[in-house]
Amino acid sequence: MAGLAELTFDSQLYGVDAIQKAAYRSMHAFTLNLKVEGGNMLCKLIGNITTEQDAFERAVEEFRKDVLDYQLRAQLHAETAPIRNLIMGLAFSNARLN
Amino acid sequence: MSKFQGLDAYIRRDGYELLPFKFDRLEGDDYVITNMTGEHLVVPMEELRALLSKDLAAEHPLYASLRAKHFIRYADEQAPLDLLALKLRTRLSRLAGLTSLHIFVVTLRCDHSCPYCQVSRQMDGEAFDMTPEMADKALDFVFRSPNPAIKIEFQGGEPLLNFEMVRYVVEAAKRRNLVEKRDLEFVIATTLSLLTDEVLTFCHEHDIILSTSLDGPADLHNANRPRVGRDSFERFEDGLAKARNVLGVDRVSALMTTTDKSLPRVREIIDEYVRLGFNGIFLRALSPYGFAIKTRKFMTYNTERWLEFYKEGLAYILELNKAGIPFVEHYASLILKKMLTSNDPGYVDLMNPAGAGIAAIVFNYDGSVYASDESRMLAEMGDQSFRLGNILTDSYEDIILSDVLLDALEQSFTLSAPMCSDCAFEPYCGAEPVFHHAIFKDVLGRKSESSFCKRNMTIFKHLIRLMQSDASTRRLFMQWANAC
Repeated sequence: MAGLAELTFDSQLYGVDAIQKAAYRSMHAFTLNLKVEGGNMLCKLIGNITTEQDAFERAVEEFRKDVLDYQLRAQLHAETAPIRNLIMGLAFSNARLN
Repeated sequence: MSKFQGLDAYIRRDGYELLPFKFDRLEGDDYVITNMTGEHLVVPMEELRALLSKDLAAEHPLYASLRAKHFIRYADEQAPLDLLALKLRTRLSRLAGLTSLHIFVVTLRCDHSCPYCQVSRQMDGEAFDMTPEMADKALDFVFRSPNPAIKIEFQGGEPLLNFEMVRYVVEAAKRRNLVEKRDLEFVIATTLSLLTDEVLTFCHEHDIILSTSLDGPADLHNANRPRVGRDSFERFEDGLAKARNVLGVDRVSALMTTTDKSLPRVREIIDEYVRLGFNGIFLRALSPYGFAIKTRKFMTYNTERWLEFYKEGLAYILELNKAGIPFVEHYASLILKKMLTSNDPGYVDLMNPAGAGIAAIVFNYDGSVYASDESRMLAEMGDQSFRLGNILTDSYEDIILSDVLLDALEQSFTLSAPMCSDCAFEPYCGAEPVFHHAIFKDVLGRKSESSFCKRNMTIFKHLIRLMQSDASTRRLFMQWANAC
């Protein structure tokens, strides 16, 4: 029988992108049903038919870590985007790419 | 009283600013962080959190490394931005040169019938040979490439079965190059089974490199590479000695392919390479193309088993080096060049944008032009997705600007691909549209289910772990990364 787990994330602390990206990364083990209710995001993780219970539980643990990682990545990305664009501009402004 | 202020006076208290970087989990609580140009550091989770929240103290042991590798800067510093831009330009400088490697499939005929071979193996008639007209048109194409370094590689089948075409292309290319003055290099990919004195004299005269195949000890090599007479290995060893004698030891290289029979024998395979005087080995997995699919050889082992094989082989190679036998694992060496230097080795599988068409291109025996060697292997199985045109009827612009090529490059671009765009290992990895098309029927593929992703992520992490755990291994890897 396929594994099943339900997790709740506070919408004020986590973005939907972080949850979706973490779910994409775990696609080899389970798929995600995501629902927003009030201030919470409700995640139902449904194990793939081919995923054994042990592997499913490990994947759920990884998913929880991944959600936090992706949330931090989003913050880092937003904060450094202007500098990234500046570096790209410096690198290629004289590249005569046209 | 000192004329100078103490060190404390020079420590800035105005706090740091984050520069763009990515991070990924390693084992335990460690994370790897990589900047835009692939420089990396391993950082424990607590320090990563402190770094991101700007709470890392200037006295922290990591602080100097983070500044030196451009993960942080003071807000008024311009040098880190200039240096990152310069390194980025260096890393991507190959793109401006466009195609360097031009593969001429001079025949599909072959004297071997390897079950994992990626193309056909017709033995009779000239219907599977390239014609002089196609070769001339292909050479027109070759010299349209703006790249100052042009490599022409002859593949098959067994290219020595159509040696007259090899001779024709080499002589014609050299005549054209009197005017073009490119850095022109020739390679023949051959099993050496049909090597003759005439071929060797020609190779010597034109400074041609031989790229051959060695799968391990005689019984394994012969089992993997059947031919009439069951003497593939004996012919290889004989040909190798002759070729080295005429061309020089460094003018003959070898590649191996891992079959299910190879898996328990990685040490023996490496020992055979050492015995035969090679200075390295390229531990390769089977590709999901051609006969490897048809004969289900591709399915005989999974990625986990291949990774065990790879790690065991790499561990043995490290043992050999520590025992005073210099020997390289070439795949690790390509990755380490990306990890530890600002240069890109230009290995097609690990390029982004993908190397298909713009780093390497294939002229098939029938005039078809393909985006890569793997593309023509797919075509031999009936999948023409990466056929860019025909050399007899299509122009350079038709081919190099074809939607087939540009769509594949754009759609597989890792910096905008799900999962890849956030991955800390992205600077080391590649787009590989042909592989993902072969598996998923989609040039992007689902990376969380991709064996390409799994294989490379595991190797990246393994190499970092090895460098972290042993200073002598790190020194050795620095040598591999900086070797010519």
